[in-house]
Amino acid sequence: MSDVVIQIENLSKMYRLGSIGTGSLRQDVQRWWTKTVRRQADPFFHLDAVGQSGQTLWALRNVNFEVKQGEVWGIVGSNGAGKSTLLKIVSRIVRPTQGIIRGRGRVSSLLEVGTGFQGDLSGRENIFLSGYILGMSKAEIRTKFEEIVEFSGVAKFLDTPVKRYSSGMYVRLAFAVAAHLEPDILILDEVLSVGDADFQKKCLGKMREVSRSAGRTILFVSHSMQAVANLCDKGVWLQQGQIKEIGEVTHVVNRYLSTAQHLKLTQTWATPDEGPGNERIRFRRVALVPQLAHADDPLDIRTPLTVQFEFWNLGPATVISVNLVLFSYGGECIFDVPSPATLFQSGLVAGECTIPGNFLNDGSYYISLYVVKDTTTSLYDLEECLAFDLADYRGEIKWYGKWWGSVRPLLPFSLRQS
Amino acid sequence: MSTDRDSESKWDWEIKATSNWWDIGFQEAWTYRHLLLGLVKRDFLLGYQQTVLGPLWTLLQPIMTMLTYVVVFGKVVGINTGHTPAVLFYLAGVILWTLFNDVFTGTSASVRNNINLFGKVYFPRFIVPAAHVVSCLISFGIQFVFLLLILIYYQLFTAWHAPSGNMWLLAVPAVALVGAQSLAWGMLFSVLTGKYRDMTFVVNLGVRLLMFLTPVIYPVQYIAQKWRWVVMLNPLTSAFELFRRALLGEGFVTTWQLLCNGSLTLALTVVALLIFNKQVSRLIDVV
Repeated sequence: MSDVVIQIENLSKMYRLGSIGTGSLRQDVQRWWTKTVRRQADPFFHLDAVGQSGQTLWALRNVNFEVKQGEVWGIVGSNGAGKSTLLKIVSRIVRPTQGIIRGRGRVSSLLEVGTGFQGDLSGRENIFLSGYILGMSKAEIRTKFEEIVEFSGVAKFLDTPVKRYSSGMYVRLAFAVAAHLEPDILILDEVLSVGDADFQKKCLGKMREVSRSAGRTILFVSHSMQAVANLCDKGVWLQQGQIKEIGEVTHVVNRYLSTAQHLKLTQTWATPDEGPGNERIRFRRVALVPQLAHADDPLDIRTPLTVQFEFWNLGPATVISVNLVLFSYGGECIFDVPSPATLFQSGLVAGECTIPGNFLNDGSYYISLYVVKDTTTSLYDLEECLAFDLADYRGEIKWYGKWWGSVRPLLPFSLRQS
Repeated sequence: MSTDRDSESKWDWEIKATSNWWDIGFQEAWTYRHLLLGLVKRDFLLGYQQTVLGPLWTLLQPIMTMLTYVVVFGKVVGINTGHTPAVLFYLAGVILWTLFNDVFTGTSASVRNNINLFGKVYFPRFIVPAAHVVSCLISFGIQFVFLLLILIYYQLFTAWHAPSGNMWLLAVPAVALVGAQSLAWGMLFSVLTGKYRDMTFVVNLGVRLLMFLTPVIYPVQYIAQKWRWVVMLNPLTSAFELFRRALLGEGFVTTWQLLCNGSLTLALTVVALLIFNKQVSRLIDVV
């Protein structure tokens, strides 16, 4: 007896790039006239800048895998990797271009929180409407109604139109309905990114309970690797529509984090002519060396990072110092650390600085190096020469919201009974 | 695939690149019947949200329109409604036209208004137009009862006599014809308006013009013999005439016309349903 509930075979989905459909009937008729009747080139076809490889984009390409009864799968990958497309096809919202999916049991999908909610209707009416849209029957909603209301915590406002709800209440009510769905297969897309910490914990708990006790199969997309690692047993890493890695979730998540981070960890220039700089300074090498126990480990907030750089001093002997400036991906300066100022003859100068582990918060960062003469005059600014991502690590902490702050230093901190 | 054949037969569903034209899934739609009723309820609740008179508007609208028509077309223009009192004549025309107008314009917007929803969750797409038809039919029912009350009033207190016997039963096929045609055209146009925004204007303008080609404000007999064929080409004409014939005793319609119209409408509805069902999932990729 095979317990495979979803079988995905050779699944591909192609999207056309460029403006194919013109969106106006007059132009479409004109196009049909030129293309089909007069057999000339399409007058409205413009190739998008991104579509150099052709006129099409394969959002998914030859994806194969099988999901067994009761498994919880996490689907990871960068933006545009095809995760949502995969979920949309499994949920029957769009059709694949090629391939076939076979399955057993009732599928419910939650690709958005609050699907089918109507602002003008009351909470009570929306529970029913949203439940129907997600495929529940009236009897099912009736029996779960109390539970849903309790879970959402909006009992007092049940007869208020949801447009007057705070966004938190809205989301809680919407998720509460979805959390009480009882399909055989549940499909979830990034639903935990909303709501406050408390509610997220409740949702994750609910999902875990559902998958463990009721043996429900779940496909789950999230950008929170913590949530994926915690909730799922199996993982798929999609990259540009193809499966890059598949298997046990910890393995997939680690592989994804260590390679999918968009890093610019090292840059080298062979001769002074090639390196960035000016008549005074030419860079030879910049590198970010993470101090990892295993080469495969992802860079996370615990990893100490060493910045190494070398440049040629092309001018005369000068008192030189270098400022290492770290920016968040949004361009906000996190810190600006100067080196000691030292007198250097012309020739190669090397420097090194270590950013300790357990200091930065998770996120994307970039580094600029500013070379300064006599601690006053700028000689050369090497902007954005290194970029890196730090993955999150929370150990025992079971909260999955975005951690606040630019830094997350490990400070001596104690609590005791007094 | 070389897995055992036994397990393949156990699949409940299958998603492939191509869909079968006939794969409408009525059985599956049945499991979504609550959704249909939920959408009908939503239409009603939303329709009268933040209104003072609420559902009373269902009656006020046709009454006001009818009174306007009685004054403008009956008194000012002087259209001859035969033996039928003008009030009854126009009211019957107005409520049947309202049914057509509401079903058609509502259905033709169903893809455009719901494309977000369609892109987020799966359910049989034709539930949306079906729910719309049901809510329009409920409004129509209310208006129809009102028409019957007025009719009884005229029967009791004026010299006018309603047609005797079971003639009124013929109103049912008339309403069915109008409902089916508006739904079918609505579904076809919803696919077009989903893709081409221009169609929204065509729909709005077309409906307004079509009213003048339909015997809403005049009986067919009022039209000169020479031009009557233009109006008769309109498939709504025979349905409207049948409706008045059934309830008011006057209407210009032949059995042959009705048979033609009936079979055409049936074919149109089937084609529209198939096209709607197949094209909407494709539209989600485009819009």
